Amino acid sequence: MRAFKLAFVRLLEALFVLLVLATLIFFALRLLPGDPAQLILGDQAGPAELARLREKLHLDEPLSRQYVRFLGGLASLDLGDSLRRPGIPAMRRVGEALGPTGALAAVAVAIGSITGVALAMLAVGPWLGTRRVWIERGLVTVAATPLLSFAPVLTYALSARLRLLPLPGDPDAGALGLVFASALLGVPLAAQVGRTGRAALGEVAPMLFLRVVEAKGGGPLRVWLRHALPAASGPILTVVATQLGALLGGAVVLERLFERWGLGTLILEAYSSRDLPVLEGAVVASGAIFVLVQALAAALHAAIDPRARA
Amino acid sequence: MSVTSRPRRLLPLLPLSLLILSAALAVGLRAASPSRLEPRLSWCSPDLAHPFGCGEGGVDLSALIAHATLRALALAVAVAITGLVVGAPMGTFAALARGRIERITGRAADLIQAFPTFLLALVVLSAVRSPGRVHLGLVFAATAWAPFARLALAQTRVLRDATYVEAAFALGLSRPRIVVRHLLPQLLGVVAVQLGATGAAIVVSEAALAFVGLGPRDGVSLGAVMDQGVAAMLRAPHVLTVGALSVFLTSVSLLIAGRALDRGTM
Repeated sequence: MRAFKLAFVRLLEALFVLLVLATLIFFALRLLPGDPAQLILGDQAGPAELARLREKLHLDEPLSRQYVRFLGGLASLDLGDSLRRPGIPAMRRVGEALGPTGALAAVAVAIGSITGVALAMLAVGPWLGTRRVWIERGLVTVAATPLLSFAPVLTYALSARLRLLPLPGDPDAGALGLVFASALLGVPLAAQVGRTGRAALGEVAPMLFLRVVEAKGGGPLRVWLRHALPAASGPILTVVATQLGALLGGAVVLERLFERWGLGTLILEAYSSRDLPVLEGAVVASGAIFVLVQALAAALHAAIDPRARA
Repeated sequence: MSVTSRPRRLLPLLPLSLLILSAALAVGLRAASPSRLEPRLSWCSPDLAHPFGCGEGGVDLSALIAHATLRALALAVAVAITGLVVGAPMGTFAALARGRIERITGRAADLIQAFPTFLLALVVLSAVRSPGRVHLGLVFAATAWAPFARLALAQTRVLRDATYVEAAFALGLSRPRIVVRHLLPQLLGVVAVQLGATGAAIVVSEAALAFVGLGPRDGVSLGAVMDQGVAAMLRAPHVLTVGALSVFLTSVSLLIAGRALDRGTM
C-alpha cells in the first residue's frame, strides 16, 4: 500500500515539474518584452505578414486562451506545424531528435555506471592492495576535469591527429562513433559514480553479513558483487539520477562539438530561428526524459534494496 | 589554532590568487582589447607579441582569455555567494519548521540541483531580446541556492535537537533570532565548503553555454574560445589547447580555493 502511495506521489510530482517547465517556457516566449512575430520575421516584415503569422500562432488571442490551447496541444502531442519546416508537425521533429540523443545518453549512462562501479569495487576490494589509493586520486582528478575541457582535446588527438576513431558526427561513423561519443559523455559520470560508490561500499565493507558470506566460502567476487553492491546501491543510483541534468547538458555540448543530430541541436536551431512550436515541444520533451529517469532510478532502487521499500 | 598553521590554511587560495593576478596583469599591462581584430594575424601561432597566439580574425588570445577569465570568476563568485546567502537561511528555516515544509524544501532542492541548467538558461534567454551576462547570472542564481539549502537543512536537523537550541526556544527567543544568532554561525563552516564547488560549476556552465551559442553577445567568454578552437581544430590546434586549459585551470582553482574554507581538513 505504501509503495503505491509513494509511486502516486512521485507521479504527481513529475507531472507538476513538467507543468512548471511548460508554463515557464510558454510565458517566457510570449509575455516578456519583444513581439514573437517580430522576432521571427525580423525588422523588415510588413504589417500584413506579421498579422498572418500572429494568427497562425494564435498570438492574437487572449493569453489565457493561448495557454489552455498550449496545454491541450501538449496533452495530445500536437503543437501545430514547425515554422521553419512548414508542413511538418513540430512534435514529429521532436520525436525524430529524441532517438539519437536517447541512444547517446543511454549508452553513456551504461558505460559510466558500469565503469564507475567497477572502479569503486577495485578501490575498496582486496584486489589491488595498497595501489588502491591511485584509483581514488584518479577519480578525484577526473571528477574535477570538465567535459568541455577534455572532450574536444581528446577528439582532436584521437580522431583528427591519430585517426584511431571516426568523428561521431560523421554519418558513416556508425556504432563506433556512438560508442566514442557516449564514452566521452560517460567519463564524468563514471568519476562521480566511482567516488560515491567507493564511499558507499566502504561503509558496507566492515559489516558482519559480509563476514558470514566469507565464512560460508564465498569468494571475493561473490562477496562484493552479490552482497555488498546491492546494499550500496542507494547512493549509487541517487548519484546517477542527480548527474542526469549534467549528462543532458553534456549531450548538448557533444552534439554541438560533433555536429551530431539530436535534441540539443534541434533546441538550438529552434531557438535561433524562433521556431516556437518546436522549441516548446523540445524543451518539454527534455524535461519529460529527465523526470522519467529520476522516477526510474527511484523504482530501481526499491527493486534492488529491500530497505528502500519499507 | 597555532600561528604556524595559518599559512597552510591559506595555501588552497594560492592557485586562484595566481590566476587572478596574472589575468589582471595581462588586462592591465597589455591593454589590448579582447575584440580588436587584425585579419592578417588570423590563427597565428604563439610568439613573443602574442603569448597564446591569435584566434579568429586575428584576435589576441591572451587578451581575450584574460578578460574572459576575470569575468567568469566575477560571475561565479557573485552567484555562489548569492546562493549561500539565500540557500543557507532557507534550509535552516525549513528544518526548524519540520513536517511538510521540511519535506517539500528538501525535495525541491534535490530536483533543482539535478535539473539541466541548459534548459533553464534557454527558457530565460528566450525571453530577452539580447542575452547578456546579467541574464546568465539570474539563471545560475535560480539554481545555485539548492545545494546550500540542502546542506543547511541536513545540518540543522542535527542541531535543532541540541540543548542550547532548546534553551533558546525555552527562553522565548523568536525563530529568526535563533536562526541568525545560534544556528547559522554553527553551520556556516560546513555549508561554505560548497562555495568552491558551486563556483567551479558556474564557470563550466557559463563556458558550455557560450560554446553552444547561448553566451554573451560580445563573445568574451572561455566557451567562445573553445568554439573557435573546435572550428579551427586542424589549422590552429593551439586555440583549442589554450581554451581547454584555461577552462580547466579556472574551475579547478575555484574548487581548490573552496578547501580553504573547510575547517576539517587542515
